[in-house]
Amino acid sequence: MTGFRGSTAVVGVGATDYFKRGTSPLSSAQLVLQAILAACDDAGADPRSIDGFVSYAGDSSEGLAIGAALGVHEVRWSTQVWGGGGGAVAAAVNAAAAAVFSGQADCVAVYRGLSEASDGRGAFNKGHMGHLYAAHGVLAPAQVCALRTQRMLEVDGVPPSALEAVALAGYHHAQRNPKAVAYGQPLDRDRYQNSRLISEPLHLYDCSRENDGATAVLVVSAERAGDFRGIPAHILSGVQGAASGWTESAENEQRYISAGFHPALVKRLWAGAGISAEEVDVVQVYENFTGPAVASLIDFGLCPPGPAAGEFMTVENLTVERGRLPINTAGGNIAEGFVHGIGLVAEAVRQIRGGSPNPVGDADISLLIGGPMAPLVSSTVFGSAATV
Amino acid sequence: MTVEHSAGVPADLARTVETHGKSVAAGDNAAVLADFLPDRVGQLIASAYVPPKLKGAQVCSITEVGSGRYDAIIRYTKLDDRWFELRSRWVRFDDGSWRVWSVRNIPDTPPWMNVTGPSPDGLDAPHWEGLRAGKLLLQRCRRCQTWTWSPRPICPACHSFDMGFEPVDPVGTIYSWTRTWQPFAPESTGHLPYVVVLVALPAAGDRRVLGVLADADGVTPEIGAPVRGQIEQPPDERHWPLVRWHLEKQAR
Repeated sequence: MTGFRGSTAVVGVGATDYFKRGTSPLSSAQLVLQAILAACDDAGADPRSIDGFVSYAGDSSEGLAIGAALGVHEVRWSTQVWGGGGGAVAAAVNAAAAAVFSGQADCVAVYRGLSEASDGRGAFNKGHMGHLYAAHGVLAPAQVCALRTQRMLEVDGVPPSALEAVALAGYHHAQRNPKAVAYGQPLDRDRYQNSRLISEPLHLYDCSRENDGATAVLVVSAERAGDFRGIPAHILSGVQGAASGWTESAENEQRYISAGFHPALVKRLWAGAGISAEEVDVVQVYENFTGPAVASLIDFGLCPPGPAAGEFMTVENLTVERGRLPINTAGGNIAEGFVHGIGLVAEAVRQIRGGSPNPVGDADISLLIGGPMAPLVSSTVFGSAATV
Repeated sequence: MTVEHSAGVPADLARTVETHGKSVAAGDNAAVLADFLPDRVGQLIASAYVPPKLKGAQVCSITEVGSGRYDAIIRYTKLDDRWFELRSRWVRFDDGSWRVWSVRNIPDTPPWMNVTGPSPDGLDAPHWEGLRAGKLLLQRCRRCQTWTWSPRPICPACHSFDMGFEPVDPVGTIYSWTRTWQPFAPESTGHLPYVVVLVALPAAGDRRVLGVLADADGVTPEIGAPVRGQIEQPPDERHWPLVRWHLEKQAR
């Protein structure tokens, strides 16, 4: 454990509605600003007092432009996590915490916004599928994650039912989240299995959506958390990275069927938070696709590898009512909506702070797992006041 | 032509398929779309390539394939009397009607994508030039002999700047595979679904390369299966040659 543990906290969460892609009446920047203003309202914070901005994955709204639009007193920290698409989502939270912990900023907004009208089609995927992929008909992250998932199923023996459980758990939780895109559209086994194939072994419901929208959270020092409204979600630990031989290698990654959370990284996360995997109460696991989400939970030691994953990964076990490990309690990327995974940050915080559509009783440890199987991966552990 | 129906093909299915073929040949898009399963209309439209003007349709066969589903092969004749075939899979929908579950052009042919050739950073340019010269070239450090893929500006093993490209015997095993059904680009129309394999190459230190598996219609690849690559020449000058992979027992 280090002095970093619990020294910063999220004190505000704000989100726009999720729009079907291409239908947001607001620009990408306006969506981001609406989310930040909502987060300030949630925190009881003066938007002009925000002095840091962090995003990831090439967000079109640069921190300085957002700061200028808000009329902030001063920008002291403006940074973006390089590469990795949604794999950088938790890294962005960690960067904000690092800025506050090191005294380089007092109140940092972490945000991600997408609007197809502003950002173009598939903006979340810009620059990821180079010629050595595309020439061979591999054009979408779904296909890369399908290749890795297929090996996980065929070689490691993880049963397909583990993927199905991720999708069904998300849909189950979304039925209590009126803001979720899949609200009022429950998903059952039949509909899941009869849905069209996207890239085998992934069906339609194994794939996240694409939405317009934005979400933002505010990170401040734990000492100042009492100055803001509501219950703070303390940041206990954070990691980002890529192991040697993992990244940007046209499918030559070592440990190919992992999600990229290598043992040293996971060990650092738990050590930083001063916890073990068994102490995690609730997980928001980035499901760009269900297969990578399963691989993530295996990487973190939250789910057994191989055939035994099927016994653990059941809808009952992954949902709040009776589950040992509730995941994606607002619906996740698959059922709540997808703005490059930033919605998972909000829900991870809400499990501590309150406001989740499916609160896990007495949750003290809330884990955020960022974009698995991406060139960069990241994770953050949030804790209640009792953990600090 | 004699229609070869397997025993027990429902009469209403045979009628639906017959009418469907005529609708396609007549360019009656509304009728064609009404035959599609409603949850996948977009995917189906973009899966099969159908030339704009046709003069006839002939149902060649309807075959039961299990789970209450049937494959229909319909031959369409173009104005110049040349023909092509589509194979559609039919399933009984909730409302009792027969609907198209999937459709493809047969025989299967690999797609030629618009994004091809050397990457903007130029690192892989010798690989592409090698294909034009009839060889599969991968990057290898001239100093420490380490194979590197994808290409890097220096050798990650010894930091030498002296990186070369060497020919590799295109023989390996399937490391993983996926059959893609979704039209992610317009060029894939007419070739969907296609199988992409990730092939480990023992001759290049088990470096892995991506490529389309040829003749994969109806084949479920297996990880570990031996494959052999053949360089396929592109249909036009805009495209670059590509290595297509063949299951070893099928290699010519």
